[in-house]
Amino acid sequence: MVPLLASRRVVLGLVGGGAAALAATSAAAADPAAQLIERTSAEVIQIIKGTTPGPARQAAMQKVLQSNFDLAYMGQTALGANWNKADQQQHARFLKAVESAEARAYSERFGQYGGQTVTVGKVTSRPNGVFIVDSRINQSNGQPIKLEWEVRDVGRGLRITDVKVEGVSMVMTRRSDFNSYIQNNGGTVEPLIKELESRAGR
Amino acid sequence: MIASVSKWMAGGARRSVAAAALAAALAGGCASGDTGAAEVWDPIETPNRFIFSFNRAIDVMAIRPITVLYRDWVPEPAQKSVRNVLDNLGEPVTAINEVFQGDPSRAATTMARFLVNSTIGVAGLFDVATSLGLTRTKEDAGKTIGMWAGKGVEPENGGFYLMLPLAGPSNARDATGLMIDYAIDPFQILPIAFNWDWFYYSAPRYGLTVIDYRSRTMFALDDLEKNSVDYYAALRSAYTQNRAELIRAKREKTDTKGELERRDNLALVK
Repeated sequence: MVPLLASRRVVLGLVGGGAAALAATSAAAADPAAQLIERTSAEVIQIIKGTTPGPARQAAMQKVLQSNFDLAYMGQTALGANWNKADQQQHARFLKAVESAEARAYSERFGQYGGQTVTVGKVTSRPNGVFIVDSRINQSNGQPIKLEWEVRDVGRGLRITDVKVEGVSMVMTRRSDFNSYIQNNGGTVEPLIKELESRAGR
Repeated sequence: MIASVSKWMAGGARRSVAAAALAAALAGGCASGDTGAAEVWDPIETPNRFIFSFNRAIDVMAIRPITVLYRDWVPEPAQKSVRNVLDNLGEPVTAINEVFQGDPSRAATTMARFLVNSTIGVAGLFDVATSLGLTRTKEDAGKTIGMWAGKGVEPENGGFYLMLPLAGPSNARDATGLMIDYAIDPFQILPIAFNWDWFYYSAPRYGLTVIDYRSRTMFALDDLEKNSVDYYAALRSAYTQNRAELIRAKREKTDTKGELERRDNLALVK
């Protein structure tokens, strides 16, 4: 009844971009941003097929994250205004902890391979140099899940800087999450980094 | 979840659609101090967090374990049928909202779905309408309010954030919408008008709604909880973004041709 967080329930018919998108699949395939998404999803599916959840999968996921995502940019955005409160050494520790947290999250997120495929759709180029790539995960059972990727060139070629699942941006959610944690723990970044590090060690 | 909330505010809500509308106006009024997506406006965070921990306790002790049993032990076709029946009971509310969203033809399609599924589909057990090409939509009054809120009001801004006891995350806009939906729902009005036995009609509907709803959100919520340092804040952000996305899609839906093309393309993927 209350449609909160209904990640499985897709509003496909209504959601603009998602579908208009798919007509352009063949055209989009030539687009470097779309290619990046296609390559990344192929790599991820390969990993899910080939491994079971555990350290091996986590390591493989981490590699994919490192080579296709701009983790430094994502981490900095997730910290928001708090980034400037931290020193160089804290930045490095924070980014390292976030990276392994994300790798772990991604590797646990998928269980067994359940026949999912990813269809890449329309690429929208924004004036600020950001590409928005529409795509969706098709599941063998259940409705497809809408994914939007934010891709930008950060000087080392195109990198993914955010993923939106059903409209929920990972970076935005982290940002809110981290910011609230910082506010409730003395307003400094240190406790957050400690917490993330202890989670990575677990 | 919605069950007890509805029950609890049954007396008041029914008679006070006007009050609800007023509340919506107030929510809209508060909108000028725009919250945006980054930080959700949460002036009553302390009571909200208290209710959140209460909800989590109930969830951990009762709702989640029952849902896990339901998910793992009830045969999938049965789960599907339960979902179909509940969805079917919700169609009139969707149709009424579609009228208020200025889309009477979509409302007619929704009512056609309701009639087909209630008869040929055996009281909604089977979703025959979808196979006839009548696709399902789900609308609620929170979306209707969000759609008509002024252009200056971002969909992320739903007034103050509100954690409802048992019903979970909401905000001024969506909670108002919930009351309106309750007041206009024929399947809430009929049992009262005809004095149907609450125990045999409303209670099972509420119970199954809770279980079905929890099973839909299980994966996403588990993921969010495990990967956040402040679950409350992460959920607040995710809820707000998800609702904004739904409302934004409503606002941007313009021409029917585009809508048709989208549907065509959709068929290609399946």
